[in-house]
Amino acid sequence: MVAPPDNDVLWARALHFRHDDGSPGLSGVSLGVREGEILAVSGPRGSGKSTLLRCLSGLVPANDGEVWFNSVPVHTMGPAARERLRRDRFGWIDPAPVLVPELNVWENAALPLMLRGTGRRRAKAAALEWLERLDVGDRARRHPVELTHAERQRVCIARALAPAPSVLFADEPTAPLHRVDRAHVLRTLTTAARSHGITVVLATHEAQTAALADRTVSLLDGRCVRTVHLPPVSGPAESEGRAACSLSV
Amino acid sequence: MLALRLSLGAQPAVQVRRLLVAGASAGTGFLLLSALGHALSHPDPAASALRLAWCAGPLASTVYLALAVARTDPATRPRPGLSAVGLGPVKLMAISAATTAAACLLGSVLALLVFLQLRGDLTGMPLGGGAREFLAAGRPLPLPAALTLLALVPLSASAAVAMTLRPRDPVTGAGRTAPAYGRFGAYRRTPVRESFGAYGRFGRQFGAAARERRTATELPAPEQAGAEAPSADAAEETADGSPAVVPPPVPTAAPSGLPWGIAVLAVGLAVEALTSRTGSEGGPAAFLGLALTSLGLALVGPGLAHLCGRLLQAVRPGALRLLAGRVLMTEATRIGRPLGVVCAVVSAAYAMASLHDRDDPSAGPLVVLGVLLVVGCTVATLLTAAVEAKQAHADTTASLRRLGAPAGTLRRAAVLRAAALLALFGPLTVAVAELSAWPLGG
Repeated sequence: MVAPPDNDVLWARALHFRHDDGSPGLSGVSLGVREGEILAVSGPRGSGKSTLLRCLSGLVPANDGEVWFNSVPVHTMGPAARERLRRDRFGWIDPAPVLVPELNVWENAALPLMLRGTGRRRAKAAALEWLERLDVGDRARRHPVELTHAERQRVCIARALAPAPSVLFADEPTAPLHRVDRAHVLRTLTTAARSHGITVVLATHEAQTAALADRTVSLLDGRCVRTVHLPPVSGPAESEGRAACSLSV
Repeated sequence: MLALRLSLGAQPAVQVRRLLVAGASAGTGFLLLSALGHALSHPDPAASALRLAWCAGPLASTVYLALAVARTDPATRPRPGLSAVGLGPVKLMAISAATTAAACLLGSVLALLVFLQLRGDLTGMPLGGGAREFLAAGRPLPLPAALTLLALVPLSASAAVAMTLRPRDPVTGAGRTAPAYGRFGAYRRTPVRESFGAYGRFGRQFGAAARERRTATELPAPEQAGAEAPSADAAEETADGSPAVVPPPVPTAAPSGLPWGIAVLAVGLAVEALTSRTGSEGGPAAFLGLALTSLGLALVGPGLAHLCGRLLQAVRPGALRLLAGRVLMTEATRIGRPLGVVCAVVSAAYAMASLHDRDDPSAGPLVVLGVLLVVGCTVATLLTAAVEAKQAHADTTASLRRLGAPAGTLRRAAVLRAAALLALFGPLTVAVAELSAWPLGG
C-alpha cells in the first residue's frame, strides 16, 4: 500500500466499481485533488462522474482500488466510520435540491450543523449568514415549497457550505437550471469555496462549467481521458462538411 | 390479467399486506355467511337482520384496511416511463382496484370453503354443538344469497380504492402566492417601476421591496452571461434531464377536526351518563353514546397528533426534536386518523367487554371473531399508514443520509414520534374507555 502524496487532500488510485446489476461503473480511475482547488470532473452522461463522486465521498465502497483522505485510508473504513467522515469533513450537493419539506429554509440550512451537535443559536447564525451570502437571506423563514428551483438549489449549497466542510462534492449542481440561474449558482459556489479554502469536486457535463474550475479531469466510459477540444471553425463554407468533434486520447 | 401478473411479482412485504386484506375479507365473509345461516335456521327476521347489521363494523374495517394497503402498494405508484405505453393514471387506478378485488375474492372463496366445510357439505361431517344454529347444517344453502353476500366485500373495497385513487389533475402553474387585492394594479408581478425621481424618495431604499429590486437587477451578471452565450445548446441539454422536482406540498395548518371531535366525544360521554341515570342500560341510547364517543375519538386523532408534534418541537429544538416534531406535524392526518380509529375501537371494545361479562360469560365465537377482525384490521391499517409515511419520506431520508446524518438520529426521531404518540393517546384511550364503561356498568 503506497501512501499518497502529501499535498493531495483526496487521492484515488485505480478505482474499479461495478454496479449491483453488473453494469460497469468505473474501470481504473486514478486522480488526486489538491488542497483548496476546484476540480471539475467532466464527461457526458453515463461516463461515471456521479459514481466517482460517490466512491470518493465514501457513499459507496469501491470494488477495487484505494481512496485516501488526508493520509487516512477511506477504502478500509467500515460504513459507520465513513458516515462519520462524511458528516464531519465532507459536504454533498445533489443535482436536484432535496430539502426537508417540513423545515423552513434556515432550519434546513442549519440541519447539518445541528446534526453535528452545534448549538441551535450558533447553527442558526451560521445558516443565516450563508443564506444571506447566497442571496436567499430574505427567504429564510419560508418553506421550501414557496421557493423557486434555483432558490432551493442555493439553499442546498448554503446547507452544504454552512458546516465548513474540507471537501465539497457537487454532483451536477446546475443541471436542471436555466443559464442565468446556472451562472449565478456556480459563481456563488465557486466564490464561496475559494474565499473559505474549501476543496470542491464538481461533476459537470459541459465545458463552460468546467472552465470555472482550476483543473479538469475528463471521464469517458469510466476511464480518465485527456480530451482535446478542437477550436471552433469560423466561416460557413469551411464548417459545412465537418462535424463538431473532439478527440479523446 | 396484467393486474394479476403485477401482483404476483411483488415483494414479500407487499404480498403479506395483501394476504392481510385477504384474511380480513375471509373473516368478514364468514361473518356474513353466518348471518345468512342464522336467518336460515331461525324464523325471526329481526334478529337475523340485527346480526347482519353488526357485520357492518368488520366490513368497514376491512374496506379501510384494503384502502390503506392499496395506497402503499408500489405497483400503483405513477410510473413516468410506463405512462407512454399505456400505464397511465387511469390504468393504474384500474389495476389497483383489480388487485384489491383479487385479494378480497381470495378471502371470500376461503370463507365459503371454510363455511361449507363446517356445515359438512364437503366432507359430510357437520360440526356439532352450539355452532349448529348459525351454520344451518342440514338445510340447503341458497347459492345466490351466499354469492351476493360474498361479493359485498370485494365490490365495496375495490369501489373505495377506485374512488380514492382516481386520477386528479395536480394544480400546476397556479399562483404560488395568493393574489393580493391590495391596491389598484395589484396584479403586476414585475419589480417596482423606476420612474423619474423614484430612486431618491425617502424610505425607498429600505425594506423588502428595495432588497427585492436590487437582487432582481443584479441577477444576470454581464460577464457570466457573456461567457455562457456561445453554449446555445446547453439549455436543451438539461431539458432531457430529470424534471424539476418540486417538494411535496406540506400542510402547515393544523387539521381542523379537533374541536368537532372534542364536542362529539363530550356529547357521547354525556349521553352515556344520562342513560345510566335514567336506568336504561344496554338499550339503544347507551349504544348511541358509545358510538358517539368512538366517533369523537376518531375525529380527535389528527388534531391530537398535530398537537403532539407541535409540543415535540416546541422550545428551542435541536436536530432530533426538530425532525421528530415537524414530521409528526405534517404526518398528523396520515398517522392520526388510523390512530384515532384504533383508540376508538380499543375503548369501545373495552366498554363492551365490561358490559358483556356481566350478562353472559360465554361470548359467542362469532362475537370474538368480529372483535378480533375489527381490532386487527384497524391496527394493521395503522401500521400500513406508518409504512406509507415512511415511503413518502424516502427521498428526504436518502438526501439526509448523503449529508451524513447518522442513521441513529433518524431512527431515534422515529422512536421519539412513536413514544410521544403513545404517551398522549394511551392514557386518553384508557380514560375514555373507563369513562364510557363506568355508566354502562352501572
